[in-house]
Amino acid sequence: MIDPTKLYRKLLKLYPASFREEYEAPMDRDFRDDQREAHSWNEHARLWIHALCDFAISAPRELVRELGQDLHFAVRVYRRRPLGAVLAISALALAIGVSTGVFSVASALLLRSLPFTDAGRLVELRLSPFSAMSGRAGFTAWRDHSTYLESAAAFSTSEMNLNSGRDALRVRVAETSANFFALLGARTNVGRTFAPEEDKPGQNHVALISHRLWQQSYGRDTAVLGTTLHLDGVALTIVGVAEPSFDYPGNVDIWIPTVFDFETIPKRGAFLFQTIGRLQPGISMTQARQQFEAEARHVSPDSFRSGDHEGPELVGFRDQITSQVRQSVLILSAVVLLVLLTACANVAQLLLSRTAERQQELALRTALGASRSRLVQQLTIEATALTLTGSTLGLIVAFFVCQIASAVLPAQLMTQDYTLLDWRVLCFAITLALLVGGIFGVMPAWLIGRLQPSTQLARVHSGASEPATQRLRSILVGLQVALTLTLVVSSLTLGSAFLHLLGTDLGFRPANVITLNVSLQGTRYQKGSAEWQYYSSVLDRLRSLPGVESAGAVNYLPLTNNMLMAGTIKVDSGQQVQTVVLNGAMPGYFKTMGTGIVAGREFAMAEGNAPEPPVIVNEAFARQSGLGASIVGRRIIAPWTPRPYLVSGVVATARMAGPEYDGSPQAYWPVEEEPPPALTFVAKVHGDSSKYMAICRDAVAGLDRSVPVYEVKTLDQRLSETLGRPKFYTTSVLFLGCLALLLAVIGVYGTSSRAITQREHELGVRMALGASARRVRLMILRESFVPVGMGVVAGVGGAVMSGPLLQHLFVGAKALSVQTCIMASILLLVTAMIAAWYATARILAIDPINAIRAE
Amino acid sequence: MTRNDDMIEQILPLSLPVFHMLLSLTEGERHGYALKREIMQRTDKRVNLGSGALYGAINKMLEQGLIVESDERPDPHLDDERRRYYRITSLGRRVVQAEVARLRALVQLAEVHLGIPDPA
Repeated sequence: MIDPTKLYRKLLKLYPASFREEYEAPMDRDFRDDQREAHSWNEHARLWIHALCDFAISAPRELVRELGQDLHFAVRVYRRRPLGAVLAISALALAIGVSTGVFSVASALLLRSLPFTDAGRLVELRLSPFSAMSGRAGFTAWRDHSTYLESAAAFSTSEMNLNSGRDALRVRVAETSANFFALLGARTNVGRTFAPEEDKPGQNHVALISHRLWQQSYGRDTAVLGTTLHLDGVALTIVGVAEPSFDYPGNVDIWIPTVFDFETIPKRGAFLFQTIGRLQPGISMTQARQQFEAEARHVSPDSFRSGDHEGPELVGFRDQITSQVRQSVLILSAVVLLVLLTACANVAQLLLSRTAERQQELALRTALGASRSRLVQQLTIEATALTLTGSTLGLIVAFFVCQIASAVLPAQLMTQDYTLLDWRVLCFAITLALLVGGIFGVMPAWLIGRLQPSTQLARVHSGASEPATQRLRSILVGLQVALTLTLVVSSLTLGSAFLHLLGTDLGFRPANVITLNVSLQGTRYQKGSAEWQYYSSVLDRLRSLPGVESAGAVNYLPLTNNMLMAGTIKVDSGQQVQTVVLNGAMPGYFKTMGTGIVAGREFAMAEGNAPEPPVIVNEAFARQSGLGASIVGRRIIAPWTPRPYLVSGVVATARMAGPEYDGSPQAYWPVEEEPPPALTFVAKVHGDSSKYMAICRDAVAGLDRSVPVYEVKTLDQRLSETLGRPKFYTTSVLFLGCLALLLAVIGVYGTSSRAITQREHELGVRMALGASARRVRLMILRESFVPVGMGVVAGVGGAVMSGPLLQHLFVGAKALSVQTCIMASILLLVTAMIAAWYATARILAIDPINAIRAE
Repeated sequence: MTRNDDMIEQILPLSLPVFHMLLSLTEGERHGYALKREIMQRTDKRVNLGSGALYGAINKMLEQGLIVESDERPDPHLDDERRRYYRITSLGRRVVQAEVARLRALVQLAEVHLGIPDPA
């Protein structure tokens, strides 16, 4: 049986240290007295209930009181030497903040549940064996006979013109099969989803709108059901409003069941649709994958060429939705973890130094009767106060990290927005803070555990150093240097790759150029074949605006994520040029874009319908044709017509997808010959281009309100959007690298400085015995350098191992080079040397006489 | 108003256990357990302080300077174990007097409002 007195003593251990120290003995005695007087079971029970109630109220009260006192003392301690505390808090705030921010992104993408019923069984079928051309009947037959899919749906996304009474809008539309919502388990907020037969031509003039569109364009009016909207001029009846969280496959505003209907909404170019499915119950992902691949192999053996990464593939929904950013997020998380470790090593250093500096004070307090637990509690509170302050400030840093990440690495779905207000993120932040605080609380406590008042007082007096602490500090410095070097190498590598990107000739000059898109899909211009008339008017209007230097238009503007059309073109010399991007341009386009005309001339007005219409090719085309600039005046044959075109000019090669990618061969047809349904207009302006954005937009929109004018941006804006990711990665890694370097400098300085404080007496004796101050200084420098040198060696190893990961961050980022490693090592060694040199300057001030006198 | 009066104002009102403890201590030095027993007797077991509450209050009174530790000596009534004794300070005495005055004023006010006749 448990001895009640012992049990009570255990309970007393839960009171805070100071209170326990004072009152543990009397409380224990009082309890024993009370127990002696209790005779019956009843009285014993009453005594225990009373004691427990008393404990439940008084223990927390005393704890809070004592914490308050300790905290007050901690603030005083830190105030005495604020620089160290400020550095440690900033280091922690940045490290915890950046970690939490990156974790919030990782959590949103990789951990948060998707807004679909049983999302674990949803898959995407890449290059599905089913052909789009076999239509609804073919799709249904394939789906119904599938052995591994319970159901499957098809969809494709595009942008369309929406006319619902007011100004025209450009919206993102998903054309789906009727069972799309049913498959995903998505519901409507108002109205219904598609009926099973509603994807049949003739029955499919219905639409579901997003909650966002319902809010913004219809003012949340439920009377919207049954009304008509026009998509690219096609009248559709609204039958439902999707749930607020639903925007699959991402940023969609309208869903229409027309994926199999090539008439209602005309599908231009190579029409591609995506297939998604729900696995049969009881079938594992691996089994489904095998069956799918077997089927795909059977249907189209060609798609399984060896080494082809683009073959048929069955992918889980989470992987499909996060594939874009998953790897980057994981790499960033790893980098951030490194910095967090560095920051931790630094704070550990700080607290160790502080504890060491206060050894005399602590030893004195121990000698005067303060218990060990009292000192441990005090040191733990000091460490916790530091980490808690750091963590709180870290949340502010994390907020900004989320903001930046949302802008640069947006998630595909609305429900995956990056937020700190997520239980996982909050748990992460709290755990991190507790862990860091706990470790740093435990470490000084461990040191105190080794504190023997008598020997310690003697030791402080004699000035002997503590080998174990010193060793621990050396290990921390080595660790810090290693991590820092890895980060510095990464920063240098990414930085030079990014600078290279910035310096790349794009084939056009983005400064002072306004770009805007117009689409005539479904408007009266398209129906009446009056597109050219409209486009010419737009160009005239833009050119007549004051401040506009020149204007032009193009079918596919560089730096946009357009699906480009490509084909093979024959030159009259007999040469063929493969995968030529087929583009259309209006007169003035190349001049406006600052694209150099290498040979020949730009288009003029009214030459598109000449018997031999002109065509302009780029340098890459000219080079591949083998003719170079002399291609001007030659004839070429396009894939779609036997009629020859006359090459009228050669222009510089534009990098369509941004500086990371080389420009491919391109041929520009005059837009006038066959005007496309949408164009991007460009206008070169004088001075601040952002001021002209509204002017240009209003001028074009004023021509006809039923034509949407959208994506009004400067070309510089588009460029910085394209470079957003490389810039984000480079600046973040660079920032983290600098931070780590700063932390390492503080670490090295701290170690050297501490070594001197601890050994001042010994050094004095050495100097008294004849060693010069310079020699003593060199000795300390040498000792400080052992951990730094070891850290550099380990860091180079780390950099070599992590190098290949960097290439995944953005195209153009290269693996590390030997020069970079050497440069980073030198940078680190020199910085460490400077830090140690400054720290050891104090040696010169040591007075040997004092040392002897103390002896 | 002097600085001391200010301090007394801040301490008031006293909690019931503290009031009882100070009252007991005006009669002489006591150790913790004795205080607890005396208060129990005096209040007919209605105020039964747990050890945590008792020593928490003692700790606070020590900090506020209402009492001081006198010395450690054996309790002749209970056993031979040494116990820590407490003594009321002059500040403590004035605090308890001020509390009595406060309570008296309160009672008088209530009597006027409720129309209870003066017992005298």
